Amino acid sequence: MKKFKILYFLAILCAVILAFGGGSLSAADCPIKIGGLAPLSAPGAVTGGEAMRDAMNIAVDEINAQGGVLGCEVQLIVADTEGLPEKGTAVMEKLISQDNVVAVGGGYHSSVGVAAGRVAHNHRVPVVFAETWSDEITNSELPEVFRIAPLSSEVADFQSKFATTVPGIKTVAMIVENTDFGRPNAEASVKVLEKAGIKSAMFTVDIGTQDFAGIVERIKAQSPDMIFVILTGEASYNFVQQAADAGIGPQNLPMLCDQVALESKAYWTNVPDGNFGFMMRVGLPPQLYNEVAKSFLESYKKRTGKKVPESYAFEAYDSIRILLQAVREAGSTDAEAIIGALEKIKYEGALGTITFPYNRSNPPEKSNMDAKWWHQFPEPAVTMVQYQKSGEDSTEAPVVYPAKYKTGDAVFVK
Amino acid sequence: MWLIVWGAVGGIVTPRVFLRKNLDVSRAGLAGASIGAATGPIGLLPLWIFAPRLRTSWNILAGSTILAILAWAFALADPHNACITNGRFVASLLTNGFIMGIIYGLMALGLSLIFSILGVVSFAHGEFYMVGGMVVYYFTTSWFPGSHPILGLVAACVITFAIGIAFERIFLQPMYKGKVDRPIEYGILVTFGLAFFIQYFVQAIAGANPVKARRYFDFPILRIPSMADPWLIKTSKGNLTLLDTVSISNPRLTAALISVLMLGLLLYFLYHTWTGKALRAVSQDRQAAAVAGINPELMNTLAFALGGMLAALSGATLVQAFSWVPQVGMLPALRSFVIIVLGGLGSLPGAFLGGLIVGIIEAAGTGCVPDPTRASAYIPAYGMIVLILVLLLKPTGFFGRQQ
Repeated sequence: MKKFKILYFLAILCAVILAFGGGSLSAADCPIKIGGLAPLSAPGAVTGGEAMRDAMNIAVDEINAQGGVLGCEVQLIVADTEGLPEKGTAVMEKLISQDNVVAVGGGYHSSVGVAAGRVAHNHRVPVVFAETWSDEITNSELPEVFRIAPLSSEVADFQSKFATTVPGIKTVAMIVENTDFGRPNAEASVKVLEKAGIKSAMFTVDIGTQDFAGIVERIKAQSPDMIFVILTGEASYNFVQQAADAGIGPQNLPMLCDQVALESKAYWTNVPDGNFGFMMRVGLPPQLYNEVAKSFLESYKKRTGKKVPESYAFEAYDSIRILLQAVREAGSTDAEAIIGALEKIKYEGALGTITFPYNRSNPPEKSNMDAKWWHQFPEPAVTMVQYQKSGEDSTEAPVVYPAKYKTGDAVFVK
Repeated sequence: MWLIVWGAVGGIVTPRVFLRKNLDVSRAGLAGASIGAATGPIGLLPLWIFAPRLRTSWNILAGSTILAILAWAFALADPHNACITNGRFVASLLTNGFIMGIIYGLMALGLSLIFSILGVVSFAHGEFYMVGGMVVYYFTTSWFPGSHPILGLVAACVITFAIGIAFERIFLQPMYKGKVDRPIEYGILVTFGLAFFIQYFVQAIAGANPVKARRYFDFPILRIPSMADPWLIKTSKGNLTLLDTVSISNPRLTAALISVLMLGLLLYFLYHTWTGKALRAVSQDRQAAAVAGINPELMNTLAFALGGMLAALSGATLVQAFSWVPQVGMLPALRSFVIIVLGGLGSLPGAFLGGLIVGIIEAAGTGCVPDPTRASAYIPAYGMIVLILVLLLKPTGFFGRQQ
């Protein structure tokens, strides 16, 4: 009889848990908490991180102004990754275990993305990475991990094909960050350049390196025809200006700078001799902005005082909005439901129409595609922009490649 | 392998031989190791048999021989390395290393000054360096837009000197007055606390975005002796090429020249003014200095403020060369610790010499390590390797005093 009573009590307890605790299957606990990853301290790319933080806040403010999601207010908790994988792991653990976020957006550094993606997988929390390029992030086909940034190998292909348009190019020197972003990008670029008959030399440095004097001398001794700067954050500013001081800067030979060069104010402050530098921009060029991008542009201007959002700001904005659309479509904050909604989603964002065509019901292998396309937005637009006037704003700088988006001719200094 | 084996044999056996013959063994380890590594048994056997009075010149000669052997072995192992085939490259590399070494030396000098007087290793040294650069940037862009960076440098010196005085008076004075149970640990913790406070305070008020001050001076455009063939001097705004060989960046050269000037002033202050002499007296014998009428507490305050100011001065001169963030001082602080141990704790000439050695070794390592994918990543390791070797052979550092 006593055993029966215990079983009866347990059955009642289970029923109560299902009735109240399992409520997240159909409704949400308010407020709905969303995590945002961004590098907000060195050695991370702080310039990019702050832009992403602002963009993610705008996304959440807009959604809340429209009444929130599932009748709940949305709360964004931004965590500083410092651009370090160990820190990325720690803050992801904190967001999930302490802050109880239902999903995570943002993310800048690839090595942070690789580490944080594993944490998300272990805790079964969906994550949409905004600006982490490494193929490794989607290669592992984790069910919880989605990405709207371009693939590193595709970017490497793009930048290397652009390099082949440089007149008389025979050798490329690459200064590469020793991370999950830098090395794979450089290795993929070497392969593409090799096919085009262009030799390349790779020089690797740690994230946050400050003094490049020795490496600049080594690169100078190689007499390259072009330099790829595959670094992030202030390290890229340091390298470009030190190279310029040594006579191999953007005004002396074609130089592909890191994306943070798009932050015009910071770029010209840190790299006063950086005119004629090239940089890649993810997302549509300003003249092709859609309505979402135009609306975001206005909000971003108001909040930051900047003329235009940078690539990573667009991506961060979309990463949060797409997650919240998935929550709305799932009608729940349950991880499985959000993942299912993301796999079917058709989201109209600032970057264009985002879908994830390769997923559990249509794995990449089925279409003879590489695993890297798993949960990957396949068509982020990438353009090459060049500063052609000292102090110019990156939004006014011409798009010089590819022909589809071109607004001006490239100037190849020598 | 030859060098290592005979160096180890010389380093271990020579002190024992000298001890058995009842001779001074303080320099026997270093001499035995260097002579053993340079000459093997040919030099060691006479050294053990005759056990002569050891001279510094023998160590210098043996050290030079070791360097020559290493260079020869390196040339054989990697004959196509630019450090072997390209004289211009080597000259530029060493010049840049020398220039950076001067700046490192100035920063380490501040740390050494603090240690020699207060007996405290300041863990906030890197933060004084950072504040120096930040003050120059904000002075020239926000506080007095358009003003010359030299004025910013003066402001950096004044501000960091004042921070140093205030901190020493409030937090370090209790150490000497017996108000703290464990003064050594207290000194470490309280300077650590200052480091964190300054770093995060600056991040809170200035943000973490990288900033950079404009160049102190642009080079005039020169072509000497002629426009067509400027083999002697060729300049652009940011670069100077000497003898068509050595390339020096403007911000580094300016920083080094300012450092040399400041070093001259510091030496004059220490050796030709009453206060400077009093500082040195306190560093040599605190009690004797007090008996002679010098107030050691005042000297403590002065030393801490002056030491922090020297770090800030290094930062103020380098903010035109590097992008500046609140965490920028961490690596230079670590390097300063290496330098002062290398030069001998508390030794001012040692700190400066250590700075030069670390600067040159780092430049040579970055330029000559055959694997270009790792050469720069090992920068912090180059100084450490030299430090380990010096500590093994001469535990007091180059100019350290035996306690």
